[in-house]
Amino acid sequence: MNRKCEKEVVFLLLLIFLVCGIVTGIRCLRRENAVSNRDSGGGVGLVIDPNAEDIVSRENADTAEQGVAISGQESMTIPANKKEVVVDFYNPQENEGLYYLTFELRLYNNNEQGYEVLYTSGLVQPGKHINRITLSREFEKGVYEAVIHVQPYRMNEERTLTNNADMRIRLIVK
Amino acid sequence: MIKILSVIMLAIIALGMPIISLAAEDEIITQDSEEKSGKITVDYNMGVTYTVTIPASVTFTDAEKTVERGLLVDNVSLNEGSILNVNVASLNTFQMRNGEAYIDYDLRVNYDYTLGENDINILTVEAGEGSGWVVLYFVTELEKDNAFYAGKYTDTLTFTITID
Repeated sequence: MNRKCEKEVVFLLLLIFLVCGIVTGIRCLRRENAVSNRDSGGGVGLVIDPNAEDIVSRENADTAEQGVAISGQESMTIPANKKEVVVDFYNPQENEGLYYLTFELRLYNNNEQGYEVLYTSGLVQPGKHINRITLSREFEKGVYEAVIHVQPYRMNEERTLTNNADMRIRLIVK
Repeated sequence: MIKILSVIMLAIIALGMPIISLAAEDEIITQDSEEKSGKITVDYNMGVTYTVTIPASVTFTDAEKTVERGLLVDNVSLNEGSILNVNVASLNTFQMRNGEAYIDYDLRVNYDYTLGENDINILTVEAGEGSGWVVLYFVTELEKDNAFYAGKYTDTLTFTITID
């Protein structure tokens, strides 16, 4: 009875060793195949990258796609014989994260340049206004032809220029 | 008793304040007034305003020789009978420049119409319309043989807005 039991135990152990050996062998074979495929440049196991698409210009696809919002007006009223005046030069909130604006108030005349610069701002952040400015000179009462030149700059390190806008206005001096 | 009287007096004074301020500014009509009717004027001075959204830039590549951009004018508030016009002008007369070298390009309105001249009208918005937009097509026949030097070729557009 004891001998029979011993035989069964030995048989079971042999069976277990055999199964383990077969499994290990299959694994080794698979790994070898994978390494062999990789070394020989094979593509087994690779899938199509879902990010691959037709060529698109990075600049056109990114921020440049969104235009520059500029807030306009028809006229500006300032007091006579004063350089300090109240205005509203505004960089709309729509430009958030994209563009700074600068504002230049120009008076049109017949000099060589074609205009006289009355005021130039620095960079104005989106959502901000410039309300109080000092003009380069005072004016007599009357209506003058002027332009607000708006120059946008990208919010990158280089502060690159973009296309710009000229808003023709009536400068009313009272 | 004194406390109660004080509270009543304060209440009377508080209720009387608006009447005093009203009397200081406005006409009071009583049963003794000859004119038994009054008039008020309600004003709201709405300024002429608009928001224009211009294309920031355009970049051509070998694979992209036609680029589409929109120009939008919205939130338009004009006086009755007024017209808002948008013109476009090119700094280099529709040439992208890199020093002395240049590459020509066309600016087309709604693709069909090529702007032959500089500083030309591309959009009109009449009072009451509220908004307007136009699609601009930038087209180049960019060939590498025509570009003398490597580098960035650029042009700058100025959009001029006038209200007539």
